[in-house]
Amino acid sequence: MDKILAIARREFLATVRTKAFILSVVLMPAVIVGALLGTHWVQKLAEEEKMPVRRFAVIDRSGQVYADLLAQLAAFNAQRPNQRFELEPVAPDEASEDALRARVNKGELYGYLILAADAVAGDGGCVLARKDKQLEVGRELEERINNAVAAVRLRESSIDPAEIARLRRRVPISEVEAQTGKAVTSNVMAQAMTPFAFMFLMFMGTFGISQGLLTSLIEEKSSRVIEVLLSAVSPLQLMAGKILGTALVGFLLLTVWGSVGFGSAQQYRVADLVTGYRLTIAALYFVPGFLLLSALLAAIGSACNELKDAQSMVFPLSLLTIIPMIFWFYISQNPASTVSIALSYVPPIAPFIMILRICSDPDTPLWQIISTLAVLWVSVVAAMWAAGKVFRIGVLMYGKPPSLRELARWVRYT
Amino acid sequence: MTDALVLEGITKRFGNFTAVDDFSLRMPAGQVLGFLGPNGAGKTTTLRMVMSIIYPDAGRITVLDHPNAAEVKDRIGYLPEERGLYRKMTVQETLRYFGRLKGLRGPGLRQRVDEYLERIGLADWKRKRVETLSKGMSQKLQFIAAILHQPELVILDEPFSGLDPLNVDMLERLLGDLRRRGTTVVFSTHQMSQAERMCDRIVLINRGRKVIEGTLNEVRARFATHFVMLDGEGDLEALRQLGGVANAQITSGHARLELADGIDPNVVLQAALEKMRIARFEVQRPDLQEIFVKLVSGDGKTPHGADQE
Repeated sequence: MDKILAIARREFLATVRTKAFILSVVLMPAVIVGALLGTHWVQKLAEEEKMPVRRFAVIDRSGQVYADLLAQLAAFNAQRPNQRFELEPVAPDEASEDALRARVNKGELYGYLILAADAVAGDGGCVLARKDKQLEVGRELEERINNAVAAVRLRESSIDPAEIARLRRRVPISEVEAQTGKAVTSNVMAQAMTPFAFMFLMFMGTFGISQGLLTSLIEEKSSRVIEVLLSAVSPLQLMAGKILGTALVGFLLLTVWGSVGFGSAQQYRVADLVTGYRLTIAALYFVPGFLLLSALLAAIGSACNELKDAQSMVFPLSLLTIIPMIFWFYISQNPASTVSIALSYVPPIAPFIMILRICSDPDTPLWQIISTLAVLWVSVVAAMWAAGKVFRIGVLMYGKPPSLRELARWVRYT
Repeated sequence: MTDALVLEGITKRFGNFTAVDDFSLRMPAGQVLGFLGPNGAGKTTTLRMVMSIIYPDAGRITVLDHPNAAEVKDRIGYLPEERGLYRKMTVQETLRYFGRLKGLRGPGLRQRVDEYLERIGLADWKRKRVETLSKGMSQKLQFIAAILHQPELVILDEPFSGLDPLNVDMLERLLGDLRRRGTTVVFSTHQMSQAERMCDRIVLINRGRKVIEGTLNEVRARFATHFVMLDGEGDLEALRQLGGVANAQITSGHARLELADGIDPNVVLQAALEKMRIARFEVQRPDLQEIFVKLVSGDGKTPHGADQE
């Protein structure tokens, strides 16, 4: 046990002292906060960006809407003075669509739109053609066209648009927490992103740090330190020490992130997002999640001599771990769906799925928490057992890395 | 404990290749054993099996009276053939770490590290990273790492390879210290001169099989009788016809006779006295180099009479 601790200590110190680690402690939360605040900022920046005037040709077959459309776009231009639209009325009999398209291709026009004759009275609608496919502009234009047609319709029915607006004004809703009755101070966006932030930090803490196990093992193998180590300790002691050391690094990282997150959540009155309960759950899932992954990586690292080989063996594992990254939004929005529950029982990704679910739904049943943790711990034991066998053979193998089938044979026959 | 190391019928195969084939050895405690053989003879494989880093397919190993070196790792020092240290650790950290892995602790460990660094002249380097050391320095460092815990049995795989004469000299002195302290030392080498200087016993291995084993004198004696030299006057050509002479090179006044196995040089001398007037007679004592070349060249088969326990 003393020797395991000595190895763990070295592994811990060697990792913690690297610049990469110090950077990741600081940078990763910065990236997250940046991503959350940044989207807002980038959006604002995009709204203020200077663009050439976009000229639209309008064929108004109904003959009623053009004036209102002009008013609508003038309002838009007032909001976004850097991104103006300009309209050019074209008499219905004057220009064919072909001629308009030719002008768009020449660059004279941004696009054109044709209002059907019964656009106001019936459902004739409108044809909209524009050069690019940008989402926001399209939505904005559709909105303005609809507003213009609606304004005409209201006038025809002699209803005052101001009265309509007064009647349809929004009801202010203040949200409180169902369990405590305390006011929810965080905004909706932050609430929606919190499960992701938890998962992402756990993901980085697990993957980012346990990768170090792979590189340190391969370094030990290629510098042949491994043989000196094995003359002093057994392969299993070596593996246990290395995993323990790396796990402590990961835990330190999460502790730093967790306490910084908790502290700043209190500071900025979003304490409902980073709670002690959520942090405890994160720790509970982090430990087996980390151990499971590092057992697998220890086995792979021991069998390979070059990082390149190791990375190609890790690839299938990485594919699996992308799942929570791809489905995080679905899972956090549907934490109790069958798919979410099923994914909670897939060992290497269970911790990430569960933290998403628990952060999204405080009512996640206790039996599911206990049973997923049980599944995780059982797979940790199984993975350690198999990894120990691969490790014992792998650490002294030089040359071509073994195939997966050979690895399976090592597990069976030793 | 009389034998520090006993190997009985050790065999190790890698796929179809037999690296070590039915190898047996007895190693009395407190002696220095030279483990000789050409490259690829199976030396490193054998030493790794002794260290329980790999396991034999057949046979039994007893190290310091234990069936498995893993149980007595703290009483053994091992310097592997492939040298390796953590490049980013300092000299001092390196020794303390390996010392701790060998069960040393606390102030005693720190003091001993300083002592050894002083002795090998690396005291000024103790806070430097290993990557800044020269090859010779890091080799010395690794040697110290192997013997820091003052083990009873030290196993060194090619300790001298790649060292310049100055460092060879210094390593030989360190080995001499170990020997005086009564440590059992096994070291492998393919340099015969070293083995001749340092060893009490040698064992020669080729293609995984033991070729010869014994004290230096025993081994020499077994081959010494193979050549006799004669200087003098008389009918030297007649020496060719003497019983037991397998081959003869004769020039004026000088003869070099190769004797058949098991022939006593004294008998040949007596017979020669009848043919010539002898000015000088010498039973040639071959050096290890010659024995090595003779035994290893050819197909590596064990020569007649050389294989005995």
